[in-house]
Amino acid sequence: MDLYTIGVLTNIGLLSFLALSAYVLLVAGEMSFGQQAFFGVGAYTAGIATAMFELPLLAAALAAMTLGGGAAVLVGLPTLRLRGLYFAMVTLAAAEMFRILFELLRWQRPVAGEPVGPDGTQGFRGIRWVFEQGVEPAHFLAIIYVLLALLLGVLLLVERSRLGATLRAIGEDPELAAALGADVARLKLGAAAAAGALAGLGGALYAHHNTYIEPRNFDIMLGVHSLAYALIGGLGTALGPVLGVVLDIGLLEGSRLFAGYRMIVFGGLVALILVVRPRGLLDEALVHALRRRLRRAP
Amino acid sequence: MTRCAPVLLLGLGLAALLGPPPAAAQRPTAEVACAAAGPPFTYDCTIRLRRGDRPLEGAEITITADMPSMPMAHNVRPVVARAGQAPGEYEARLELDMLGEWAIRLRLGGPVRDLLVVHYEFDEAGAHPASGARRHRH
Repeated sequence: MDLYTIGVLTNIGLLSFLALSAYVLLVAGEMSFGQQAFFGVGAYTAGIATAMFELPLLAAALAAMTLGGGAAVLVGLPTLRLRGLYFAMVTLAAAEMFRILFELLRWQRPVAGEPVGPDGTQGFRGIRWVFEQGVEPAHFLAIIYVLLALLLGVLLLVERSRLGATLRAIGEDPELAAALGADVARLKLGAAAAAGALAGLGGALYAHHNTYIEPRNFDIMLGVHSLAYALIGGLGTALGPVLGVVLDIGLLEGSRLFAGYRMIVFGGLVALILVVRPRGLLDEALVHALRRRLRRAP
Repeated sequence: MTRCAPVLLLGLGLAALLGPPPAAAQRPTAEVACAAAGPPFTYDCTIRLRRGDRPLEGAEITITADMPSMPMAHNVRPVVARAGQAPGEYEARLELDMLGEWAIRLRLGGPVRDLLVVHYEFDEAGAHPASGARRHRH
């Protein structure tokens, strides 16, 4: 496999974590423009763990998930009482707060005679654990996809479970779900924590793939894209956001012949998809129909 | 004070024997100079690699790029640089997707295995180091 293909597949894999993060909250009925903040928390946490304290990647990833989920709970506690546009705007504001915090974060310590650590707007360089362990790009790609497959497996199992059904019910009609005995506030907070942990894991992998991160990496564009992937791919199944990422990257690559106009062409294609399929390509109706067909198949 | 003096002298002696930390002195540095080629967003680049105060020759360089403000949105085709005119110089044609600040990633093989990231602002004429003096090695 050539380096270009590895690069494209790596980006698809990393963006899938972010898309799944936005998807989990969408299923619970909330639209968040701020998942990039937890992606950033995960990236910085994992970078600090490996580059500054020379911990292995596994420990760094677990720390990233913990802090990503924790940050999401901190944001969710005061904001999940809001709905719709108000929640969306608050998540956007919270994400900008995190980005500014990353700009203010200056913490370096000497490692092998060099200062290593976040340096405000100059970014965080030297996240080289993966490179120094001799992990080649193709091997790191495999690590990303093994983790993604495990994650998708868990999400697909949860979707088929009582918990998954309750979350969808909350997403459709929280008052009715509460009347039927669901603890809406706690389940939404749990969904937010899970979404934050997912994004944190993606951020950890991104930081080690890139070896360098800076606050600008985690601005609103990334958040808008993560939401777009989930909406384009469809909310009927956890495979939807991954499909959204594949289509997004595929459309972007396919529109190269438009040269400088490709972002305009791409935006138009995204708008067209959402006009034709408002709940995305793999929406609930299609997934339900596919499952019925599979059950009937001999 | 007289009791501390031997300890201090011993410490200074050890520091003199050990010398400066070796890692920082050995890692290569890179400078990139790019001029616009014919097609849009295409640049002919010269990469100057140095290790300490000497040009680094014989390196195998694979170049990729990403935009800090739009991470993972661009998939620039990796390019393998060829040896340039002078020692430590390498040349490559880079095809980007748009103007703006790019993080150029240089994966080195051969005599030195390393990964450098340098930031350059690309405009219609060519490239210059991004603000914040990010020319130094990653």
